[in-house]
Amino acid sequence: MSADTLNLAAEGGGGLFTPGGPGFEAPSVGIFFPSAWSWGNYGETSPYLGGITKYAVLLVVATALVLLFLWWTSRRLSMVPDRRQSLGEIFYLFIREQISRPMMGAKGDKYLPLLLSLFLFVFAMNIMGIIPFLQLPVTSNLSYPVGLALIVYIIFIAVGIKSQGGVAAYFKSAVVPSGAPGWILPLLVPIEIISNFLIRPATHAIRVFATMFAGHLLLATFAAAGWYMFNPSAGPLFGSISVLFSGASLVGFIVFTAFEMVIMFLQAFVFTLLAALYIGQAQEAH
Amino acid sequence: MLGLAAEEQNVLRIHIDELVFGLIAFAVIFGLVYKYAAPRITKMLDERADSIEGGIERAKKAEAEAEEIRQQYRDKLEEAHREYAQELEKAKEQRAAIIAEAREEAQVEARRLVEAAHAQIEADRQQAMAQLRNEIGVLSTELATRIVGETLSDSAAQNRVIDRFLDELEHSGNNQQAGVR
Repeated sequence: MSADTLNLAAEGGGGLFTPGGPGFEAPSVGIFFPSAWSWGNYGETSPYLGGITKYAVLLVVATALVLLFLWWTSRRLSMVPDRRQSLGEIFYLFIREQISRPMMGAKGDKYLPLLLSLFLFVFAMNIMGIIPFLQLPVTSNLSYPVGLALIVYIIFIAVGIKSQGGVAAYFKSAVVPSGAPGWILPLLVPIEIISNFLIRPATHAIRVFATMFAGHLLLATFAAAGWYMFNPSAGPLFGSISVLFSGASLVGFIVFTAFEMVIMFLQAFVFTLLAALYIGQAQEAH
Repeated sequence: MLGLAAEEQNVLRIHIDELVFGLIAFAVIFGLVYKYAAPRITKMLDERADSIEGGIERAKKAEAEAEEIRQQYRDKLEEAHREYAQELEKAKEQRAAIIAEAREEAQVEARRLVEAAHAQIEADRQQAMAQLRNEIGVLSTELATRIVGETLSDSAAQNRVIDRFLDELEHSGNNQQAGVR
């Protein structure tokens, strides 16, 4: 949160039932634009540069979390696993049995490290949104999901070219639906090109970004509303009403936080699942 | 400041530097997974699967062995029962044979004794008969001498008389015996 929004929130506190007090300001998209800790003007020199912001710091935190988790769960492995090892195996087997095998079969096992990394990374970036005091999902900044979607995009095209035996063969198999009558191809081929090579990577990145963005905005709204309505000094009647309202908002915040946890997991899962699906499709002849 | 920011705030922004940070972070994570975590976990899972399969195999083998041994044991037990029954049967037969043999022997012995006794009796009778015949001859002669009052000097005539007398006597005796039987 930027200093401006923090001040705004502080000023907004207890606004309800205060005569002449500030009106309620719902959290704006400004909460997704933390100010940069810059050297010189770095980060504000160009619209294409973000600079070192809370996002970059949380990215480091999330990465460190994943690295620690991986090292901790796989450093001493035995045939009879203890709890620590089982925890790591759960993720590994979850990716293999729920994503890799159903999408690509046993020949997809060589993409398991990629899928496991994608899942853990996206999941860690997502849960930054509900860790107290950090509370900003890294994936709510489109730059990060776009990077990952780009990696998957390059990989599935490369896999396609390799397994279809050549660039032309791959693009033909990808954009010309088999079994379609010739006269409809001029209509179908552009649609396939747009859908497979433009829409696909865009939606892949935007799906996780948008859910995280919306979820965070929702939680911020509940928090801000709760803070705004909390005004026990407004007299016995209005004071208790305001506390009740504020409590309701707190309950909503807690419920939606739990809900967010599920969504964070689910979106990491979906992102990884789609990566596996795209690679699997590129492997198969269309 | 806020108004200024709002103009710049494009939600769908893609910052090159942040994108690169993300790629670097992912590369580090992927490196650890690819070089360290995934191979180790894969290897361990494979080993575990192997060991479990081996364990199942061993258990199956042991079970088969146990079943075989149990079958052998059962066969032996059955054989022992059968042998025991056979022995019992044989013993019964032997007992019956021994009893029969003993009975036979006893009968033979008894018959032999009876026969011996009969022979003895017969011999005694014969002897008695011969002796009697002699004694009767002497007595008869003595009696006849006394009755006639003279000694028959002629031994040939004497013998003739005795023989005739005895024949008559025997004849009448035989008749009497036949009548009794």
